[in-house]
Order: sequence, then C-alpha cells, then structure tokens
Amino acid sequence: MVQYAYFPGCSLGSFGYDYHLSLKYVTEALGMDLVEVEDWVCCGGFSARATSHLLSIALPVLSLSHAEKAGFNQLVAPCSICVSRFKAANAELEHDADLMKKIHEVFDYKYQGKVKVYHPLEVFLEMGLDKIRERIRKKLAGLKVACYYGCLLTRPPEIAQFDQVEDPQSMDSIVRALGAETADWSFKTKCCGGLMTLSRSDMVLKLSNDVLHGAKEAGANAIAVACPLCQVNLDGRQRQIEETYKTRYGIPILYFTQLMGLAFGAYPKEVGIQKLLTTPCEVLGSIGLM
Amino acid sequence: MTDPLPKETSQLSRDLQALTGVDVMACDQCEECTLGCPSAYAMRMKPHELVRAIQLGLSEEIHWSGAIWTCLSCETCNTRCPQGINILRVIDGLREMSKDFEYYNPYPAIPALHRIFMSLVNRYGKLHPLGMVLLSNLRMLTPFKDIDLASPMLLKRKLKPLPHKSHGARELRQVMARIRKLEGAK
Repeated sequence: MVQYAYFPGCSLGSFGYDYHLSLKYVTEALGMDLVEVEDWVCCGGFSARATSHLLSIALPVLSLSHAEKAGFNQLVAPCSICVSRFKAANAELEHDADLMKKIHEVFDYKYQGKVKVYHPLEVFLEMGLDKIRERIRKKLAGLKVACYYGCLLTRPPEIAQFDQVEDPQSMDSIVRALGAETADWSFKTKCCGGLMTLSRSDMVLKLSNDVLHGAKEAGANAIAVACPLCQVNLDGRQRQIEETYKTRYGIPILYFTQLMGLAFGAYPKEVGIQKLLTTPCEVLGSIGLM
Repeated sequence: MTDPLPKETSQLSRDLQALTGVDVMACDQCEECTLGCPSAYAMRMKPHELVRAIQLGLSEEIHWSGAIWTCLSCETCNTRCPQGINILRVIDGLREMSKDFEYYNPYPAIPALHRIFMSLVNRYGKLHPLGMVLLSNLRMLTPFKDIDLASPMLLKRKLKPLPHKSHGARELRQVMARIRKLEGAK
C-alpha cells in the first residue's frame, strides 16, 4: 500500500461527498492508502487571495505543515481549487526567501516545503493506465463522455505543472481506458463561473450554459469533472440553466472517480451516484449499469 | 483607450509593483487577455483596459468599473499573456488595496461575500457551505435565492445543517491574528 496524506477540503465533507466516496473506493481498489491530514483547515480558496497575499499562502501552509509533521511528503487534494492554492504556496515559498521568512514568523512550526501536492488525476496517471485496465470488471462501452477540467487544474502552467494547458488529455485517457468514448470539444478548460456561484449567479448560469451546450454539440451523453465546484455548478444548477435559457440538457455530471468506480464493478450507491441532482439513471441504464 | 503612455511610471503601477512584484508597463495592448476572459462580457473595464488604466494611474476609474470584482480568478489572462504579466496577481493586489480606500464599488456584495467566507473560516477552521449560502442570501437581501438548489441538496445530505469545527481552528486564528499584526505594522 502506498500512503498519501489526504486533504479533503471543505467541499468533500458536504456538497462533494460523492467525490469523497468514489475517490476512497477507487484508491482502495488501486492499492493506495489515503490518510486524512489531522486538524486540517480551509485552504482559503478565492477569498483569502482577495484579502491578503500573505494569508493566502499561510492557510495552505497550515495544513501542509500538519502533513509534514506527520512525516508525509506526498499529499493528495481532490478539489482543484485546493490543489491550485497548495501548489502556488509551495512554488512561491520555494522562490521567495522573504516570504518564507514571513511565514516562519507567523508560525510556531517551521515549514520546510517538503510536501509535494497532487491532484488524484496525476497520481492515477503516474500509476499507469495498465494498472487501471487490470481492475476493470465492466467496460463503459456506449458512454460518450466530455471530460471537463475547469480553470485551475492546468492553469497557470508554471504552477500547475500538469498536462497541456489548453487541451489537456489526462482525464480523457483514463476515461478511454475504462472503455468509454471521449468527446473532442473546446470547453475543457473554460470557466464554469466557480467563485461567483453565490454572488453573481447570472454569470454562472451563462458560463455553465456555454459548457453544457458545448458538450451537447459534441454529442456527449455525460460530462466527467474533477472539481466539486464545477460539479455543483453544472449539475446542481442545470435545472436553473435550462429554465433560464429555455432548453433541455439532462446531461449527468459525474466525477471521473465515479466512472472509474462503476467500471471497477462498484454498486452505484457505493460511489455516491444517488447523490447527483441531474439523474444519470437513463444514461447509465442504457449501458446496463443501473 | 488611445491615451499615449506618460514618460513616468504612474504611482499606482509603482505601488502595485511593490505589493505584487508585477510590472505592468510591459503591456502593449495585444488584447489576448480580454479575448480569453470568461467574464469580459460583464466587465465595464476589460482586462487589457484595466492594465492600461494602471499604467496611466487611473485608480478611481478602475474601482468604479468594478472589474476587479467581476474577475473570476480563472488564470486564463496570465496563462495567455505574451509579455508574461501576471494580471490576476495584479487584480488580487488591487482587491487587497481596495480595503484602504473609500472608492465607490458597483458590486459591494462580492467583497462582502469574501469577508463572510473568511469569517466562517476564522470561526470554524473550515467553510460551512450552508451557512455561507444563508449568510450570503441575507447580505444580498434575497433570502430565498437558490432554495430550489439547496433543498434537494439538504435532502441528499449534500449540505450539512450544522457546521463542523476543525481542531486546527485555534491555530488558524492565532496565525490570522499574527498576520493582521504584521500587516498592520507596515
């Protein structure tokens, strides 16, 4: 068993609980052990960076130092906002000695910057697609999936250090390994409106509508996501979008880990399929998964 | 904006460079940032205009346009800028500086929601999503907004009625207090 420190973040305990369930299922199946970081705190998201730069570095460091103290040098964070904040904190501290000094000033523990941060997609890819193929019990043939990466997974490239910036392929290659077809579409890294979901819902509806429309045009019957905020905007707000733009999508928005779990032979309930708001029953039923 | 660049660097761009380390004077208005920007359609001052306004030192116009709050922090502008200007870092700098000024802001709810977010994190060590929704709705005077979204999520237990407190909250408050002290001393 390979051990990783695990930072679930605020969303995986609540509106991203299905992501948590499916990630746990998949990592266990692949022989990974995710150990939750003790006493972790919020990464500060978009709000800390709009308040104070030092604060936006200090909040990730709080949780990272807990992982470092526990002896971990690899940390997995499934939310792309958390991953991005962690990676930014590590990168800035590595290049900016003054900032490191300030951080050491406000902390009792002296963080060394030794914890490497990964998104689950990176870990799975490093593990190799063959290892994923070995575990498959039921191929997802008949599914055409549009893989949606969102903003922060690949951007900015010097911090994310992940895949191609404008046309990433990592999730596509995993989904194809599961036996599904993937859509070639241009909205992979377009923004869903994430941060404004409460303050400017009108913008979120417009931007998420663009994404859903793009997926439908590309002939996809499901969208795979890797971030809980993207999921809630595309899935939870899908009915509002349909009402606002007088259209009908009915495209289920699944976490890529849920697709992996289903292909590994999990019962839908084990990977949190029942928690999706846009029902995937029709699509999954048509390929004999429900 | 066709104003020629002044010979001297504006005070605003010098202040921003001191705060963020980003030099906006290298911008030559190719508009790549605006072309990729998902929220440009909703901005009264587009990203490339914002950079020009910083070069010219037009603080009031920048804040009055509200563009720094309509920005979604999606990092597309930084990624595509051929001059390598970290525009989002500059916008974050402007957001940070806005606390020190009394400029008019057409979207006061957005920074208010950031403050609500931070106060929940300060209190519990993590965000309580339902609390965030309720407090935001109260702040925006739309108490029943998104009730069609929140109620099925509550039923599916995707939103927890009560906040869960992290044991790290105490340490977090200590760190936040020290940061305030450090920044106040400047």
